[in-house]
Amino acid sequence: MSEGLSRRHVLRRLGGALAGAVSLTAARAAKAAVQKGLASADAPKGYDPSQHKWLMAIDVERCIGCGSCVEACKAENHVPDSPVYFRTWIERYLVLKPKLGAGETRGEVIVDSPNGGMRKGGLKDFKPVPKEEILRGFYVPKLCNLCEQSPCSQVCPVGATFDTPDGAVLVDSKYCIGCGFCIQACPYGCRFMNPVTRTAEKCTLCYHRITRGLKPACVEVCPGEARIFGDLKNIAPDDPIQRFFETRKAQPLKPHLGTKPRVQYAGLDMEVR
Amino acid sequence: MRIPPQLFRLLLLTIGIVGSYLVARYFLTPPSFGQYGWYRADALVEARGARQLSYAGRKACDECHSEETQKLAKFEHKTVSCEACHGVGQAHADDPGVAITKPTDGLCIRCHEADPARPTWLRQIQPKSHYTGRHCVECHVPHQPNEVP
Repeated sequence: MSEGLSRRHVLRRLGGALAGAVSLTAARAAKAAVQKGLASADAPKGYDPSQHKWLMAIDVERCIGCGSCVEACKAENHVPDSPVYFRTWIERYLVLKPKLGAGETRGEVIVDSPNGGMRKGGLKDFKPVPKEEILRGFYVPKLCNLCEQSPCSQVCPVGATFDTPDGAVLVDSKYCIGCGFCIQACPYGCRFMNPVTRTAEKCTLCYHRITRGLKPACVEVCPGEARIFGDLKNIAPDDPIQRFFETRKAQPLKPHLGTKPRVQYAGLDMEVR
Repeated sequence: MRIPPQLFRLLLLTIGIVGSYLVARYFLTPPSFGQYGWYRADALVEARGARQLSYAGRKACDECHSEETQKLAKFEHKTVSCEACHGVGQAHADDPGVAITKPTDGLCIRCHEADPARPTWLRQIQPKSHYTGRHCVECHVPHQPNEVP
Protein backbone atom coordinates (compact mmCIF):
# COMPACT_ATOMS: atom_id res chain seq x y z
CA MET A 1 0.00 0.00 0.00
CA SER A 2 1.45 3.35 -0.93
CA GLU A 3 1.64 6.17 1.61
CA GLY A 4 -0.86 8.40 -0.24
CA LEU A 5 -3.68 5.95 0.32
CA SER A 6 -3.16 5.06 3.97
CA ARG A 7 -6.22 4.80 6.18
CA ARG A 8 -5.23 7.94 8.09
CA HIS A 9 -4.90 9.84 4.86
CA VAL A 10 -8.24 8.75 3.48
CA LEU A 11 -10.01 9.54 6.76
CA ARG A 12 -8.42 12.94 6.92
CA ARG A 13 -9.58 13.73 3.39
CA LEU A 14 -13.09 12.50 4.10
CA GLY A 15 -13.24 14.59 7.25
CA GLY A 16 -12.05 17.64 5.36
CA ALA A 17 -14.68 17.19 2.67
CA LEU A 18 -17.39 16.76 5.29
CA ALA A 19 -16.32 19.90 7.15
CA GLY A 20 -16.30 21.79 3.85
CA ALA A 21 -19.79 20.60 2.96
CA VAL A 22 -21.11 21.47 6.41
CA SER A 23 -19.63 24.96 6.32
CA LEU A 24 -20.99 25.48 2.78
CA THR A 25 -24.50 24.54 3.87
CA ALA A 26 -24.10 26.73 6.91
CA ALA A 27 -23.00 29.59 4.65
CA ARG A 28 -25.97 29.00 2.34
CA ALA A 29 -28.36 28.93 5.28
CA ALA A 30 -26.80 32.10 6.68
CA LYS A 31 -27.08 33.77 3.28
CA ALA A 32 -30.74 32.79 3.01
CA ALA A 33 -31.37 34.17 6.51
CA VAL A 34 -29.62 37.46 5.69
CA GLN A 35 -31.35 37.82 2.33
CA LYS A 36 -34.78 37.22 3.80
CA GLY A 37 -34.40 40.68 5.26
CA LEU A 38 -33.29 42.11 1.91
CA ALA A 39 -36.21 40.86 -0.20
CA SER A 40 -39.58 42.59 -0.24
CA ALA A 41 -41.97 40.27 1.50
CA ASP A 42 -45.29 41.86 0.55
CA ALA A 43 -44.84 41.92 -3.19
CA PRO A 44 -48.15 42.48 -4.98
CA LYS A 45 -48.16 40.01 -7.84
CA GLY A 46 -49.88 40.06 -11.18
CA TYR A 47 -47.88 42.64 -13.13
CA ASP A 48 -45.15 41.70 -15.56
CA PRO A 49 -42.95 44.68 -16.51
CA SER A 50 -41.76 42.97 -19.67
CA GLN A 51 -45.30 42.97 -21.11
CA HIS A 52 -45.68 46.76 -21.12
CA LYS A 53 -43.98 49.83 -22.56
CA TRP A 54 -45.49 53.02 -21.20
CA LEU A 55 -45.14 56.33 -22.97
CA MET A 56 -46.39 59.86 -22.51
CA ALA A 57 -46.80 62.30 -25.36
CA ILE A 58 -47.53 66.01 -25.09
CA ASP A 59 -49.64 68.05 -27.47
CA VAL A 60 -48.45 71.60 -26.85
CA GLU A 61 -51.31 73.10 -28.85
CA ARG A 62 -53.85 71.46 -26.53
CA CYS A 63 -52.24 72.77 -23.34
CA ILE A 64 -54.17 75.68 -21.84
CA GLY A 65 -51.78 76.22 -18.95
CA CYS A 66 -54.35 75.62 -16.22
CA GLY A 67 -51.85 73.92 -13.92
CA SER A 68 -54.23 71.11 -12.94
CA CYS A 69 -51.56 68.51 -13.74
CA VAL A 70 -49.02 70.17 -11.45
CA GLU A 71 -51.49 70.24 -8.59
CA ALA A 72 -52.64 66.67 -9.21
CA CYS A 73 -49.07 65.40 -9.32
CA LYS A 74 -48.31 67.01 -5.99
CA ALA A 75 -51.46 65.58 -4.42
CA GLU A 76 -51.01 62.08 -5.79
CA ASN A 77 -47.32 61.72 -5.07
CA HIS A 78 -47.07 63.77 -1.86
CA VAL A 79 -44.48 66.05 -3.43
CA PRO A 80 -43.34 68.61 -0.84
CA ASP A 81 -45.54 71.70 -0.93
CA SER A 82 -42.68 74.18 -1.27
CA PRO A 83 -42.67 75.90 -4.68
CA VAL A 84 -39.30 74.48 -5.65
CA TYR A 85 -40.16 70.78 -5.79
CA PHE A 86 -41.95 69.47 -8.85
CA ARG A 87 -42.18 66.17 -10.65
CA THR A 88 -44.01 67.88 -13.47
CA TRP A 89 -44.48 71.56 -14.18
CA ILE A 90 -45.71 73.97 -16.83
CA GLU A 91 -43.62 76.65 -18.49
CA ARG A 92 -45.10 79.71 -20.14
CA TYR A 93 -43.27 80.89 -23.24
CA LEU A 94 -43.87 84.39 -24.52
CA VAL A 95 -42.21 85.36 -27.77
CA LEU A 96 -42.07 89.15 -27.97
CA LYS A 97 -42.35 91.17 -31.15
CA PRO A 98 -38.97 92.16 -32.64
CA LYS A 99 -37.87 95.75 -32.16
CA LEU A 100 -39.12 98.06 -34.86
CA GLY A 101 -36.74 98.03 -37.80
CA ALA A 102 -34.59 95.24 -36.36
CA GLY A 103 -35.35 93.08 -39.36
CA GLU A 104 -35.81 89.97 -37.27
CA THR A 105 -38.57 87.36 -37.15
CA ARG A 106 -38.97 87.44 -33.39
CA GLY A 107 -37.82 89.33 -30.38
CA GLU A 108 -36.93 88.29 -26.86
CA VAL A 109 -38.34 85.07 -25.41
CA ILE A 110 -39.66 85.18 -21.86
CA VAL A 111 -40.02 81.87 -20.03
CA ASP A 112 -41.49 81.63 -16.58
CA SER A 113 -43.05 79.02 -14.36
CA PRO A 114 -44.18 80.60 -11.08
CA ASN A 115 -44.86 77.85 -8.56
CA GLY A 116 -44.49 75.31 -11.36
CA GLY A 117 -47.27 77.03 -13.28
CA MET A 118 -49.81 75.85 -10.72
CA ARG A 119 -51.81 79.02 -11.32
CA LYS A 120 -53.12 79.45 -7.81
CA GLY A 121 -53.44 83.19 -8.32
CA GLY A 122 -54.43 83.14 -11.98
CA LEU A 123 -52.60 85.13 -14.62
CA LYS A 124 -51.30 87.49 -11.90
CA ASP A 125 -48.73 84.83 -10.90
CA PHE A 126 -46.88 85.26 -14.15
CA LYS A 127 -44.61 88.11 -15.15
CA PRO A 128 -46.80 90.92 -16.53
CA VAL A 129 -46.13 91.63 -20.18
CA PRO A 130 -48.22 94.18 -22.16
CA LYS A 131 -50.37 92.43 -24.74
CA GLU A 132 -49.19 94.69 -27.59
CA GLU A 133 -45.60 93.48 -27.16
CA ILE A 134 -46.43 89.80 -27.45
CA LEU A 135 -45.95 88.09 -30.78
CA ARG A 136 -47.34 84.83 -29.49
CA GLY A 137 -47.32 82.63 -26.45
CA PHE A 138 -47.84 79.06 -25.43
CA TYR A 139 -47.54 76.70 -22.49
CA VAL A 140 -45.30 73.64 -22.40
CA PRO A 141 -45.79 70.88 -19.83
CA LYS A 142 -42.54 69.33 -18.67
CA LEU A 143 -41.84 66.01 -17.02
CA CYS A 144 -39.27 63.21 -17.00
CA ASN A 145 -38.42 62.60 -20.65
CA LEU A 146 -37.97 58.85 -20.12
CA CYS A 147 -34.60 58.71 -21.89
CA GLU A 148 -33.50 55.45 -23.42
CA GLN A 149 -29.90 56.43 -22.66
CA SER A 150 -30.74 58.13 -19.40
CA PRO A 151 -27.79 60.17 -18.09
CA CYS A 152 -29.25 60.08 -14.58
CA SER A 153 -28.96 56.31 -14.29
CA GLN A 154 -25.53 56.30 -15.90
CA VAL A 155 -24.06 58.60 -13.26
CA CYS A 156 -25.66 56.93 -10.23
CA PRO A 157 -22.76 55.44 -8.26
CA VAL A 158 -24.89 52.91 -6.36
CA GLY A 159 -27.35 51.64 -8.97
CA ALA A 160 -30.24 53.38 -7.23
CA THR A 161 -31.78 54.79 -10.37
CA PHE A 162 -32.52 52.72 -13.41
CA ASP A 163 -34.56 52.31 -16.58
CA THR A 164 -37.27 49.74 -16.03
CA PRO A 165 -38.22 47.24 -18.75
CA ASP A 166 -41.65 48.90 -19.02
CA GLY A 167 -40.29 52.31 -19.94
CA ALA A 168 -40.17 54.23 -16.65
CA VAL A 169 -37.06 55.62 -14.97
CA LEU A 170 -37.31 55.03 -11.23
CA VAL A 171 -35.35 55.76 -8.09
CA ASP A 172 -34.76 53.04 -5.51
CA SER A 173 -35.01 55.19 -2.40
CA LYS A 174 -33.58 52.40 -0.24
CA TYR A 175 -30.35 52.46 -2.24
CA CYS A 176 -30.14 56.19 -2.97
CA ILE A 177 -27.39 57.83 -0.93
CA GLY A 178 -28.49 61.37 -1.82
CA CYS A 179 -25.30 62.40 -3.59
CA GLY A 180 -27.21 64.45 -6.15
CA PHE A 181 -25.19 63.39 -9.20
CA CYS A 182 -28.37 62.48 -11.07
CA ILE A 183 -29.89 65.90 -10.38
CA GLN A 184 -26.93 67.54 -12.08
CA ALA A 185 -26.87 65.01 -14.89
CA CYS A 186 -30.50 65.41 -15.99
CA PRO A 187 -30.47 67.87 -18.91
CA TYR A 188 -34.20 68.49 -18.46
CA GLY A 189 -34.06 69.46 -14.77
CA CYS A 190 -36.58 66.78 -13.89
CA ARG A 191 -35.11 65.69 -10.58
CA PHE A 192 -34.91 67.15 -7.11
CA MET A 193 -33.72 66.17 -3.66
CA ASN A 194 -36.59 65.34 -1.37
CA PRO A 195 -35.97 67.38 1.78
CA VAL A 196 -37.64 64.79 4.02
CA THR A 197 -36.23 61.50 2.75
CA ARG A 198 -32.97 63.08 1.51
CA THR A 199 -33.13 60.96 -1.62
CA ALA A 200 -33.47 61.94 -5.26
CA GLU A 201 -37.02 62.07 -6.50
CA LYS A 202 -38.60 62.35 -9.92
CA CYS A 203 -41.61 61.56 -12.06
CA THR A 204 -42.37 57.84 -11.83
CA LEU A 205 -45.14 58.02 -14.44
CA CYS A 206 -47.31 57.37 -11.36
CA TYR A 207 -45.94 53.82 -11.28
CA HIS A 208 -48.39 52.84 -8.52
CA ARG A 209 -51.28 53.92 -10.76
CA ILE A 210 -50.26 52.65 -14.19
CA THR A 211 -49.51 49.18 -12.82
CA ARG A 212 -53.09 49.06 -11.54
CA GLY A 213 -54.56 50.00 -14.90
CA LEU A 214 -55.10 53.69 -14.14
CA LYS A 215 -53.69 56.73 -15.92
CA PRO A 216 -51.05 58.92 -14.26
CA ALA A 217 -52.66 61.66 -12.15
CA CYS A 218 -51.60 64.47 -14.51
CA VAL A 219 -53.12 62.69 -17.52
CA GLU A 220 -56.29 61.95 -15.56
CA VAL A 221 -57.00 65.59 -14.74
CA CYS A 222 -55.73 67.28 -17.92
CA PRO A 223 -58.86 69.03 -19.25
CA GLY A 224 -57.53 69.67 -22.75
CA GLU A 225 -56.13 66.21 -23.49
CA ALA A 226 -52.72 67.78 -23.89
CA ARG A 227 -51.14 64.81 -22.16
CA ILE A 228 -51.55 61.51 -23.93
CA PHE A 229 -50.60 58.29 -22.26
CA GLY A 230 -50.51 54.73 -23.50
CA ASP A 231 -48.94 51.31 -23.48
CA LEU A 232 -47.03 50.77 -26.71
CA LYS A 233 -47.05 47.00 -26.27
CA ASN A 234 -50.84 46.81 -25.83
CA ILE A 235 -52.33 49.32 -28.23
CA ALA A 236 -56.11 49.28 -28.49
CA PRO A 237 -57.74 50.15 -31.86
CA ASP A 238 -58.90 53.58 -30.63
CA ASP A 239 -55.92 54.19 -28.39
CA PRO A 240 -55.21 57.91 -27.83
CA ILE A 241 -51.47 57.32 -28.19
CA GLN A 242 -51.99 55.63 -31.54
CA ARG A 243 -54.22 58.48 -32.66
CA PHE A 244 -51.58 60.98 -31.53
CA PHE A 245 -48.88 59.45 -33.69
CA GLU A 246 -51.28 59.08 -36.62
CA THR A 247 -52.31 62.72 -36.62
CA ARG A 248 -49.48 64.78 -35.13
CA LYS A 249 -45.90 65.47 -36.08
CA ALA A 250 -43.91 64.87 -32.93
CA GLN A 251 -40.35 65.32 -31.74
CA PRO A 252 -38.47 64.93 -28.46
CA LEU A 253 -36.81 67.68 -26.42
CA LYS A 254 -33.07 68.29 -26.89
CA PRO A 255 -32.50 65.34 -29.25
CA HIS A 256 -28.93 66.54 -29.95
CA LEU A 257 -27.81 65.41 -26.50
CA GLY A 258 -28.05 61.77 -27.49
CA THR A 259 -30.11 60.78 -24.47
CA LYS A 260 -32.84 59.42 -26.76
CA PRO A 261 -35.76 60.90 -24.84
CA ARG A 262 -38.92 58.86 -25.40
CA VAL A 263 -41.47 61.53 -24.48
CA GLN A 264 -42.74 63.11 -27.68
CA TYR A 265 -43.92 66.68 -28.09
CA ALA A 266 -46.22 67.84 -30.87
CA GLY A 267 -46.48 71.50 -31.87
CA LEU A 268 -43.11 72.35 -30.36
CA ASP A 269 -41.61 75.73 -31.17
CA MET A 270 -37.90 76.34 -31.73
CA GLU A 271 -37.67 78.38 -28.51
CA VAL A 272 -38.49 75.41 -26.29
CA ARG A 273 -35.53 73.94 -24.49
CA MET B 1 12.35 30.63 -5.58
CA ARG B 2 11.59 32.17 -2.20
CA ILE B 3 8.98 34.95 -1.95
CA PRO B 4 10.39 37.90 0.01
CA PRO B 5 8.51 38.19 3.35
CA GLN B 6 7.27 41.75 2.70
CA LEU B 7 5.74 40.66 -0.60
CA PHE B 8 4.22 37.63 1.08
CA ARG B 9 2.54 39.83 3.69
CA LEU B 10 1.27 42.15 1.01
CA LEU B 11 -0.16 39.16 -0.85
CA LEU B 12 -1.86 37.91 2.32
CA LEU B 13 -3.32 41.35 2.97
CA THR B 14 -4.65 41.56 -0.59
CA ILE B 15 -6.21 38.12 -0.34
CA GLY B 16 -7.75 39.13 3.00
CA ILE B 17 -9.30 42.34 1.61
CA VAL B 18 -10.56 40.80 -1.62
CA GLY B 19 -11.79 37.77 0.29
CA SER B 20 -13.78 39.81 2.80
CA TYR B 21 -15.26 41.82 -0.09
CA LEU B 22 -16.31 38.60 -1.82
CA VAL B 23 -17.81 37.23 1.40
CA ALA B 24 -19.71 40.47 2.01
CA ARG B 25 -20.95 40.48 -1.58
CA TYR B 26 -22.05 36.85 -1.32
CA PHE B 27 -24.13 37.59 1.74
CA LEU B 28 -25.39 41.11 1.12
CA THR B 29 -26.36 41.24 -2.56
CA PRO B 30 -30.17 41.30 -2.59
CA PRO B 31 -31.65 38.25 -4.33
CA SER B 32 -33.45 40.34 -6.95
CA PHE B 33 -30.36 42.35 -7.93
CA GLY B 34 -29.61 41.91 -11.62
CA GLN B 35 -32.95 40.38 -12.58
CA TYR B 36 -33.59 43.15 -15.14
CA GLY B 37 -30.32 45.05 -14.99
CA TRP B 38 -27.81 46.64 -12.68
CA TYR B 39 -30.36 47.36 -9.96
CA ARG B 40 -32.68 45.73 -7.44
CA ALA B 41 -35.73 44.35 -9.24
CA ASP B 42 -37.66 44.48 -5.94
CA ALA B 43 -37.53 48.28 -6.21
CA LEU B 44 -40.12 47.99 -8.99
CA VAL B 45 -42.41 46.02 -6.75
CA GLU B 46 -41.93 48.55 -3.97
CA ALA B 47 -42.68 51.42 -6.36
CA ARG B 48 -45.97 49.74 -7.23
CA GLY B 49 -47.01 49.52 -3.62
CA ALA B 50 -45.34 52.75 -2.55
CA ARG B 51 -48.45 54.90 -2.37
CA GLN B 52 -52.14 54.88 -1.84
CA LEU B 53 -54.23 56.23 -4.69
CA SER B 54 -55.54 59.77 -4.35
CA TYR B 55 -57.27 60.06 -7.72
CA ALA B 56 -59.76 57.27 -8.38
CA GLY B 57 -60.08 57.74 -12.14
CA ARG B 58 -63.11 58.32 -14.35
CA LYS B 59 -64.17 54.66 -14.31
CA ALA B 60 -64.63 54.68 -10.56
CA CYS B 61 -66.89 57.77 -10.80
CA ASP B 62 -68.85 56.10 -13.59
CA GLU B 63 -69.75 53.16 -11.33
CA CYS B 64 -72.19 55.25 -9.27
CA HIS B 65 -72.63 58.49 -11.22
CA SER B 66 -73.07 57.12 -14.74
CA GLU B 67 -75.96 59.53 -15.40
CA GLU B 68 -73.65 62.51 -14.97
CA THR B 69 -70.74 60.98 -16.88
CA GLN B 70 -73.00 60.11 -19.82
CA LYS B 71 -74.43 63.62 -19.87
CA LEU B 72 -70.94 65.10 -19.71
CA ALA B 73 -69.75 62.94 -22.60
CA LYS B 74 -72.14 64.68 -25.01
CA PHE B 75 -70.89 68.22 -24.44
CA GLU B 76 -67.77 70.27 -24.84
CA HIS B 77 -66.50 69.42 -21.39
CA LYS B 78 -66.29 65.74 -22.35
CA THR B 79 -62.49 65.83 -22.18
CA VAL B 80 -62.56 67.15 -18.63
CA SER B 81 -62.37 64.36 -16.10
CA CYS B 82 -64.56 64.44 -12.99
CA GLU B 83 -61.62 64.87 -10.65
CA ALA B 84 -60.24 67.84 -12.57
CA CYS B 85 -63.01 69.94 -10.97
CA HIS B 86 -64.28 67.82 -8.09
CA GLY B 87 -60.84 67.08 -6.67
CA VAL B 88 -59.28 63.87 -5.41
CA GLY B 89 -61.87 61.11 -5.24
CA GLN B 90 -60.36 57.85 -4.03
CA ALA B 91 -61.42 58.46 -0.41
CA HIS B 92 -64.96 59.19 -1.62
CA ALA B 93 -64.95 56.10 -3.85
CA ASP B 94 -63.91 53.90 -0.91
CA ASP B 95 -66.48 55.44 1.41
CA PRO B 96 -69.30 57.51 -0.15
CA GLY B 97 -69.75 59.17 3.24
CA VAL B 98 -66.54 61.11 2.69
CA ALA B 99 -67.52 64.35 0.96
CA ILE B 100 -65.65 65.60 -2.10
CA THR B 101 -64.52 69.20 -2.48
CA LYS B 102 -67.19 71.60 -3.69
CA PRO B 103 -66.24 73.23 -7.00
CA THR B 104 -65.98 77.02 -6.96
CA ASP B 105 -65.89 79.85 -9.52
CA GLY B 106 -62.11 79.81 -9.25
CA LEU B 107 -62.07 76.49 -11.08
CA CYS B 108 -63.87 77.96 -14.10
CA ILE B 109 -61.53 80.94 -14.13
CA ARG B 110 -58.49 78.72 -13.84
CA CYS B 111 -59.08 77.47 -17.38
CA HIS B 112 -61.16 80.25 -18.95
CA GLU B 113 -59.34 83.39 -17.81
CA ALA B 114 -58.14 85.32 -20.87
CA ASP B 115 -54.42 84.79 -21.35
CA PRO B 116 -52.29 85.70 -24.39
CA ALA B 117 -50.36 82.43 -24.05
CA ARG B 118 -53.51 80.32 -24.32
CA PRO B 119 -54.55 78.69 -27.58
CA THR B 120 -57.30 80.52 -29.46
CA TRP B 121 -59.59 77.47 -29.66
CA LEU B 122 -60.23 77.85 -25.93
CA ARG B 123 -63.10 80.15 -24.93
CA GLN B 124 -61.78 82.81 -22.60
CA ILE B 125 -63.24 85.67 -20.59
CA GLN B 126 -61.91 88.70 -18.70
CA PRO B 127 -62.88 87.91 -15.08
CA LYS B 128 -62.67 91.62 -14.19
CA SER B 129 -65.31 92.70 -16.69
CA HIS B 130 -67.36 89.56 -17.40
CA TYR B 131 -70.53 89.86 -15.24
CA THR B 132 -68.65 90.64 -12.06
CA GLY B 133 -70.31 89.85 -8.77
CA ARG B 134 -72.18 86.87 -10.16
CA HIS B 135 -71.39 83.20 -10.01
CA CYS B 136 -70.48 81.28 -13.16
CA VAL B 137 -73.17 78.65 -12.60
CA GLU B 138 -75.92 81.28 -12.64
CA CYS B 139 -75.54 81.46 -16.44
CA HIS B 140 -73.52 78.34 -17.36
CA VAL B 141 -74.04 74.64 -16.67
CA PRO B 142 -70.64 73.07 -16.02
CA HIS B 143 -71.74 69.62 -17.20
CA GLN B 144 -73.45 71.06 -20.31
CA PRO B 145 -71.52 74.21 -21.21
CA ASN B 146 -73.60 74.83 -24.36
CA GLU B 147 -76.86 75.08 -22.47
CA VAL B 148 -78.51 77.73 -20.33
CA PRO B 149 -79.79 76.77 -16.86
